[in-house]
Amino acid sequence: MSNRSSIDGIIERSRAYNCVQCAKCSSVCPLSGVDESFSPRLIAEKILLGFDEILYEKGLWTCLTCGACDDKCPSDVDYRGFIRELRGKSRQREEVWKCAHGGVLQSLMRMMSDSALKQDRVGWITGDMKVADKGEILFFVGCLPYFDIIFEDFGVKSTDIAGSAVKIFNHLGVTPVVMQDERCCGHDLLWSGDTENFMRLAKNNLKQIKKTGAVKVVTSCPECYRTLKLDYAEYFGEQDFEVLHFSEYLSDSINRGELVFNEACRLNGRVTYQDPCRLGRHLGVYEQPRDVLGSIPGACLGELELNRDRAVCCGSSCWINCGQSSKEIQKRKLEEAKSIADLLVTACPKCQIHLKCAMGDLEGMDMDVVDLTVLAARALGYLV
Amino acid sequence: MNKEKKNEEKEELRIGVYVCDCGSNIAGVVDCAAVAREIEKLDDVVIVRENKYTCSDSGQEEIKKDIKKHKLNRVVVASCSPRLHEPTFRKCVESAGLNRYLFEMANIREHCSWVHPKNPTEATEKAKDLTKMAVAKARKLKPLPKIQSPVINEALVVGGGVAGIQAALDLADMGFKTYLVEKEPSIGGHMAALDKTFPTIDCSICILGPKMSDAGNHPNIELLTYSEIESVEGYIGNFKVKVRKKARYITDECNGCGECWKVCPVITKNEFDLGLGPRKAIYIPFPQAVPLKATIDMNACIECGLCEEVCEREGAIDFKQEDEIIELNVGTIIVATGFTDYDPSGEYGYGEYDNVLTGMDYERLINAAGPTLGNVTRKDGKKPKSIAWIQCVGSRNKDNTHCSNVCCMYAMKEAMQIKEKYPDTEVYIFYIDIRAFGKDFEEFYKRLMNKGVRFIRGVPAEIKETPEKNLKIVVENTILGRVCEYEVEMVVLSTGIMPNTDAQEMQRKLNISRTADGFFMEAHPKLRPVDTPTDGIYLAGCSQGPKDIPNSVSQAKGAAASAAIPMIRGVVEPDSTIASVDLDKCTNCALCAKYCPYNAIVHEKNKPLKIIEAACKGCGTCAAICPVGAMEQEGFTDAQLISEIEAVLEENPEEKILAFLCNWCSYAGADTAGISRFEYPPNVRIIKYMCSGRASARLVDKAFELNAGMVLVSGCHIGDCHYIDGNYSCEERMDKYRKTLEAKAIDPRRFHVEWFSAAEGGEFAEYMKELEDMRKKLQEEGKLTPWKKKAKKKP
Repeated sequence: MSNRSSIDGIIERSRAYNCVQCAKCSSVCPLSGVDESFSPRLIAEKILLGFDEILYEKGLWTCLTCGACDDKCPSDVDYRGFIRELRGKSRQREEVWKCAHGGVLQSLMRMMSDSALKQDRVGWITGDMKVADKGEILFFVGCLPYFDIIFEDFGVKSTDIAGSAVKIFNHLGVTPVVMQDERCCGHDLLWSGDTENFMRLAKNNLKQIKKTGAVKVVTSCPECYRTLKLDYAEYFGEQDFEVLHFSEYLSDSINRGELVFNEACRLNGRVTYQDPCRLGRHLGVYEQPRDVLGSIPGACLGELELNRDRAVCCGSSCWINCGQSSKEIQKRKLEEAKSIADLLVTACPKCQIHLKCAMGDLEGMDMDVVDLTVLAARALGYLV
Repeated sequence: MNKEKKNEEKEELRIGVYVCDCGSNIAGVVDCAAVAREIEKLDDVVIVRENKYTCSDSGQEEIKKDIKKHKLNRVVVASCSPRLHEPTFRKCVESAGLNRYLFEMANIREHCSWVHPKNPTEATEKAKDLTKMAVAKARKLKPLPKIQSPVINEALVVGGGVAGIQAALDLADMGFKTYLVEKEPSIGGHMAALDKTFPTIDCSICILGPKMSDAGNHPNIELLTYSEIESVEGYIGNFKVKVRKKARYITDECNGCGECWKVCPVITKNEFDLGLGPRKAIYIPFPQAVPLKATIDMNACIECGLCEEVCEREGAIDFKQEDEIIELNVGTIIVATGFTDYDPSGEYGYGEYDNVLTGMDYERLINAAGPTLGNVTRKDGKKPKSIAWIQCVGSRNKDNTHCSNVCCMYAMKEAMQIKEKYPDTEVYIFYIDIRAFGKDFEEFYKRLMNKGVRFIRGVPAEIKETPEKNLKIVVENTILGRVCEYEVEMVVLSTGIMPNTDAQEMQRKLNISRTADGFFMEAHPKLRPVDTPTDGIYLAGCSQGPKDIPNSVSQAKGAAASAAIPMIRGVVEPDSTIASVDLDKCTNCALCAKYCPYNAIVHEKNKPLKIIEAACKGCGTCAAICPVGAMEQEGFTDAQLISEIEAVLEENPEEKILAFLCNWCSYAGADTAGISRFEYPPNVRIIKYMCSGRASARLVDKAFELNAGMVLVSGCHIGDCHYIDGNYSCEERMDKYRKTLEAKAIDPRRFHVEWFSAAEGGEFAEYMKELEDMRKKLQEEGKLTPWKKKAKKKP
C-alpha cells in the first residue's frame, strides 16, 4: 500500500470516487461485450476499495481507452484518464504489461526518445513531391515509416498515407514542412504509463517544430492529433501552433472551393467509415471525414450501426492489447462492414493495420480497407 | 435625543465574550483557548469564557449570570453563523435584562473552522480577528427599541397539489381565510394522475378526491384555479400579491354537466393524460376535477359555437372573457408549487421507440380512468408479456445529482400492479440501489420479490428496438459480474422529479432562494425545514425537494402550522435595524428618498425628512447613498462597520481579503461553503451587512486607507435582491467608485464586485481562491500600497 497516496490522487483527478457501480460502462464497453471477465466499473471498484492487486492484472492493460464508457458515465468519471494514470503505477512491475508484437513498437519509440538517434525516416518522399524544411504548414508524419517495416508482411504501406498527403498539399499549391528528424509523438508510451519517455519525445518534437516556424501542424494520424493537440498542451502549456487532422484540412479546403475531386476518378461503390476513437470520441471530429467522403464522386456512404460517438473501437490500441477479444471485435466489425459496403475507409493508420491483420487471421473476411487520405489522393487522380 | 447621546458617552463599556468550542466543530481546528487569551487583552472586555457548547442551556445560563454578576452591557459570542443562533442569543441576553441589540456574534465555524481544517494556525488567527471585529462593533452598539407590525390573518397557498390542498385545508380549519392558487384548470396536481399509491396500493384519486372537494367547498378557502402569481410585494404580515386569473371563457354559472364537451367537434391531446389520450377543445381535464367547471382551450377552439348552443346555463360560456388581475393582501404565503417530471427524450429511445414509456405514462395506462381504461398495452395494441423498469433515469447523474426519492417505490408499485393483474408477465427491474426507506417500504419490496419479479443490479446505458418493436437490453449484472442480454416487450423508465419549470420565476417573484439542485431552499436543512429564509413564506411538498405523498402531506401540515403562528399572534417584531436620520446633518438633498426601494422616506420641500418606520425594511441603501452621513442604518452604522474594518486591518492589512457580504445571499453562500466544507484561503475576513445596497464608498475607502490587500463587495445576484433593488444601486455606485481608484493610486485589480446566491458555496470558495491568487500576484508586483490622502489645502 506504499503508493496508495498517489493512487488516491488518481482517484481524485479522474473523479472515480463518484462511481456508483451502475454498470452503464460495461453495457457499452466493446471489450465487455466480448470478454465476460472485463468490467470497467469493477476495476474502479477494486481500486476504490484498496484491492491494489488489480494494478497487476491484465484488465488494466486490455482496456482500449476508447472512451465509450466515459460518454455514458452518469457520474462524470474520466475513465480513460483513470486507466492511463493507473498504468503508470502498474508499469512498476514489468511482468504485467506484455505488449503485442513482443513490445518491438514500444522499444522503437523509446529508442526515438534518445535525441542523439539518427533516423532515415523520409525515404518515402519521391521526386514528384515537394517538401520544405521551413514554412507555415507542417505535415507531422508520425510512425508511418516504422510501420512499413514491421507490417510489411500483410501488405499495408502506411507511408502511402504520407505520400498522399504531401501530393494533396502540393495539389493545393502548398509545400509542407516534413521534418527530417521527427520523433514518435509519444502517444503509445503515454497511454502505457511511460510518462518519462513521452516527455522526452514531446520535448524533442516541440523543439523541432519551433525551428520550422510552422503555425499549422497537420497530421493524418488521430493519435498524433490527440497527443499534439491535448497532451502537449497539458504537459507543456498551450502551444503557438494550431493542430489539425488531415480530414479537417481536407474538409476546409473543400468548403473553400479550393479542392475539387476529379469526376474522371469516380469511385463506384458503397463505402463505410470507421470512426477512430481518438479522432471521434476524444476530440469530437465526426463530420469532416464524412464531408470529404461525401464530396468524392460516386462514393455512396453507408453507416455502421454504431457510428460517431457510439462507434466501436477497432479492437486494439497503443500496440498493447491484441488477443481473442481484439479479434472478435474486429471480426464483428468486418462482418458488418462487408454486409453494407465494398470499401471500408478509416482515418487512422492503426485502425487500418489492425483490420488488415484481422483479415489475414480470419477466413472469408477480405475486403478493401483504405485510408481517407489515400482515397482522397486517388480521387484527385494520383496513383497511390 | 441629545440627552440620550450624552448618557451613552458616559456609559462605561463592560463586554463579555464567549468563545464556543462547538464540541470539536470549532475546537478541532481553532485553538479556542488562544483566541480567548487574545481577547482578554482587549480594552473594555470584562470577562472571556471558552465553553464547549455556548448555545446549550448551561452555556446560556452562564451568560445570563455573568450579565448580572459582572454588570455586562455588551455580549459577544464567537461560534456559529448568526443566521443560525443570533435569535437564540438575542433572546438569552434579553431575558437577562439587556437590550437584544447589544449582542454581537463572530462566525468562527461556517466562516473559519469548517473551511480551513488544514490550516489550524491561520484559522486560529482568523478566529481572533473575527472575534476582535465583533468586540469592536459591540463597543459601538446601541440599544434599539422593539418594532411591532400587524399581521393580516389571511393566507395564500401557491400550488394545488396534495401539499397545497392539505396546507390550505389546515389553515382554513384553523379559521384563516386562505387563497389557493393553481395554474391548471383543476386542483389535484400529480397525485390526481396517479393510479395507485405505494406501499398500500390504494387508489390515488379515491383518497385525494374527497380532499379536493373539501378544499372546493370549504367556506374559508377561495380557489383560484387556472391562475398564476403575477407579482409579490411586501413582507411578513402584509404581502401584496397580484394573481392573473387566466380567461377560461367559462363563468361561475357552469355546473360541469358535460353537455358542451359532448358536442365539441375539436379533438386534441389531453395534457392530463400526458398526451396519451384525447380531450375536446372545451373540457374538464379529468372527471373528479375541482372546480367542476369547463375550460376552453383557445389554441384548439375553432369558435363554432356548438357548445354555446347546447349549454342550458345562461351566460356560462363567455367567449369575450379576458385575463383578470386579482389583488390579494395576505399575512403569510405557503409555496407548494410541486415539480416537473424529468423529460427523458432522446434517452433509451424515448419518443422514438414505440414501447418505451415513463413511469407517469404507465400510471395513465394502468389507471382505470385513463386513456386505455386501465389496460397496459403496447402501441400495437398487444398486451406486453414482459416489462422492464430502468431506474434512476434523470436522477443521480452529473447534471441532476439528486436522488428523486420516489422512483424505486413507484417502479415496484407499478410492477406489483402488473403482477397482480397478469401474474404471467415477466418483470425485470434494473437498478443501482433500491431505496426502500419509508414505513412498510422494505416489506413491500419483499412482497414483490415473492411475486417473482427479477431485480437486476446494473442499468443499461442504452437500449435497442428490434424489428418486432421489442426492446433489447444489454447490461452487466454486477452481482454476477456478467454482461447479459434481455429482450422485453415494454420498457418503463423510472424518471425522476425535477424542480418545476417555473421554479426560477417563482424564486424571483417571491424573493426566496434555491439550492444547487434547483429546488427551493429551506431556512435551515435540519431545524427549519418548512421555512424559507424570507420571513412569512413557507414551503411544502416537492417544490422543496423530491418527496412521496406522506412526506408532502406532513410538510404541508408543518407549513400550515408555521404560517399560522404569526397570524395567531397578530403581530410580528421585525428587526429594529432600520434607517434613522440625523436632521442636524441632513441637507435635504433627498437622494435617499429617490433610492429607497420601499418609498419609506418622505421628502417634502422645506420640511424635515421623515422616515416611515413601518415601511422601512432595513436594507441600508439610504445610509450608503447619503453624501453627508446623515442617514444611518441602525445596527450597521458607519461607526459600527468602520470599527470592524479598523479592527481587522490593525495588523498585516495587505495580507487580508476583506469581503462585504449581504445577509441573504452572499453571506449565506459563504455559510454554505462552510456547511459543504469547500475550503478557501484563510486570509479572507467577512463583514456582514443586510443588503449590498449598504455598501458605500466610505466603507471601501476606509479599507483601502488602511491598506486592505483586496476588497470584495458582494450581494445577491442581480434580480434576486431581497430588498427589491439594493444590489442595482450597489452596482451603480461601485462602478462609479471604481473610477476613483486611479486617482488614489490604488490598483483597480484590488477591488471587486461579485454576486453569489445562498446555494453557491462552491462558487464562493473558488472565487476566494482567485482573489488570493490575484492578491499574491499584486503583492509580488509591489502593488499593495495604502491610499495616501492628499492633505487638504486650507483656503
